Amino acid sequence: MNVEELVRDSLRELADEQTSTGPGLADRVLVVRRRRRTRRIVSVAAATAAVVAIGVAVPLLDSGKEDVRPADVVQQSKDIAHPDQSPPRELISAGNTVLAAYYIPRTVKHSADRAERVRDYWLLDQKTDKYVKTTQWSYVAVAPGMKTAAVLERNLPASRIGMLDLATGKVARWIQLDHKVAGLSFSRDGLKLVATTYSENPDQLVKMQGSDGWDQKQPSSRTGFYVLDVVSGKGSWSAVKLESDPTDPMGDSFINARQDFALSPDGRHVWAGNPMGEIGKQFYDLTGAEVDVPADQKHLQWYVDAWQSPSGRLVAGDFAGEKWKTSSWVIDARTGEKTEVRGQQLLAWVGDASLIAWDIAKDGKNEFHQRLVKVTIGSDKTVPLSGFRKGNDGGAGRWEPVFAER
Amino acid sequence: MDAEAQDSFREFVENRSSALLKTAVLLTGGDRHAAEDLLQNALIKAVGRWHRIDEPEAYVRQILYRQQISRWRLKWRRRELTVAEPPEAGASPDAAPAAELRLLMRGALARLTARQRMVLVLRYFEDLPEADVARVLGCSVGTVRSTAHRSLARLRALAPELAALGPADVESQPSRDFSPVEVRP
Repeated sequence: MNVEELVRDSLRELADEQTSTGPGLADRVLVVRRRRRTRRIVSVAAATAAVVAIGVAVPLLDSGKEDVRPADVVQQSKDIAHPDQSPPRELISAGNTVLAAYYIPRTVKHSADRAERVRDYWLLDQKTDKYVKTTQWSYVAVAPGMKTAAVLERNLPASRIGMLDLATGKVARWIQLDHKVAGLSFSRDGLKLVATTYSENPDQLVKMQGSDGWDQKQPSSRTGFYVLDVVSGKGSWSAVKLESDPTDPMGDSFINARQDFALSPDGRHVWAGNPMGEIGKQFYDLTGAEVDVPADQKHLQWYVDAWQSPSGRLVAGDFAGEKWKTSSWVIDARTGEKTEVRGQQLLAWVGDASLIAWDIAKDGKNEFHQRLVKVTIGSDKTVPLSGFRKGNDGGAGRWEPVFAER
Repeated sequence: MDAEAQDSFREFVENRSSALLKTAVLLTGGDRHAAEDLLQNALIKAVGRWHRIDEPEAYVRQILYRQQISRWRLKWRRRELTVAEPPEAGASPDAAPAAELRLLMRGALARLTARQRMVLVLRYFEDLPEADVARVLGCSVGTVRSTAHRSLARLRALAPELAALGPADVESQPSRDFSPVEVRP
């Protein structure tokens, strides 16, 4: 026997020892795929909200005319739930994390093979604690403190950002830009705003040959990002070029048509998902130079909306499904140790120990029939916060939450 | 993705996932958990283009290899360090029974770099000709040959018990290409 024969025998023996993949692999793949696709098209605003929802241990700005934070931050720990309402009509909150808005996406057909995904928003009226519909904005990011929201007008990409006063419902100030933007995200301290620039509308849909449904238009037209100072409205733009061919669906540079940037949880970097890349994300310094992923942020997943806990100690992870039918991982940012927590999809942190999540009913069979719940690490209990969403993925009547810190 | 495509995907996974998992396990050096991740990620990528794939199995295998290559590209320095442990001392260089040799070989394979292991898996498990291995890896046939040559030499270094075995065919051929092994993305 020579070495080659022994290599061959050893490889075959190892291969033959493998038991099958077990049932359900195809369905697991389809679920993950669907979840990522859903993120791709409809819930970028929810991801944005997660950034602003995690700011707790931050100094408040000096109160002044341009202050984006409220004059008085009242600690409210009581959960306010409306398990009979879907979509919600009245205020929903857990601790200081508030459902500040929600949107319902719809597809507007422009021709036989061209359409657009648009969002209609319902913003919380803080005087009446009711959600009020507005069709004026194509994109809304609510600042921590819920005093201000950054908004974009219809017809993306937009050449200006409005700073909406949530008390009056009026735009207090416009920030005019040289490069057109289609996505917005506040830093957790509310002092900075990252705007993602695109040369075309990233919410365009096209009909591909051989496909029945609408697909995002590829390749992505993303060009870079602004980091803006919220108080002065000033900032700089950085171009971000993709390294390899963005049209290669197996290449590392393939990104979604809409793949927005955001400040990292500690505010020191700008990051975005990189779905086909080795580690699924890319980090940049504030001037647009790519940097290594900081050690304590390597577990961040762009499509898990809750991101990092307020203290930075924990990171919300992907679907787990081991201890319970629907559950998710919470990962220790430093050690990588995983803990299973209830909830199908983690949306926003409530302090460092609880999260708001989507979850199905205990005996639920439809994975899309979810409601907002509060889950707590180390607890078996879930607290229902909203009614169940109807319809399937991408169907009519699906509302998407936008959370903010009170 | 319509219901028909989903059914065809489910059928493919049901029929082929066990065979694909075997390849994935070999590529990861026997790490079943990493192999399942590798396969699941490859299937996620494939399902997004299901309508447009003519030969699903070839496509998924290609993704498995490419994912493994890109892992290698990012981590090879660290892996090289991991691999560069001194060989286990004290074992007798001859007369090890066949089953024991296969176990030794398995341990040594797990300690190769991902790329070295991939060349051996493609050549000796998938039985691909050198030209096809070169196509998969995006390199020359000479590079495939030299990588196979060096991989076998590495196995001998990692497990001195293998010294009693005869030389492989590839080892008796002169290998001219000793350039650093680079992969085009």
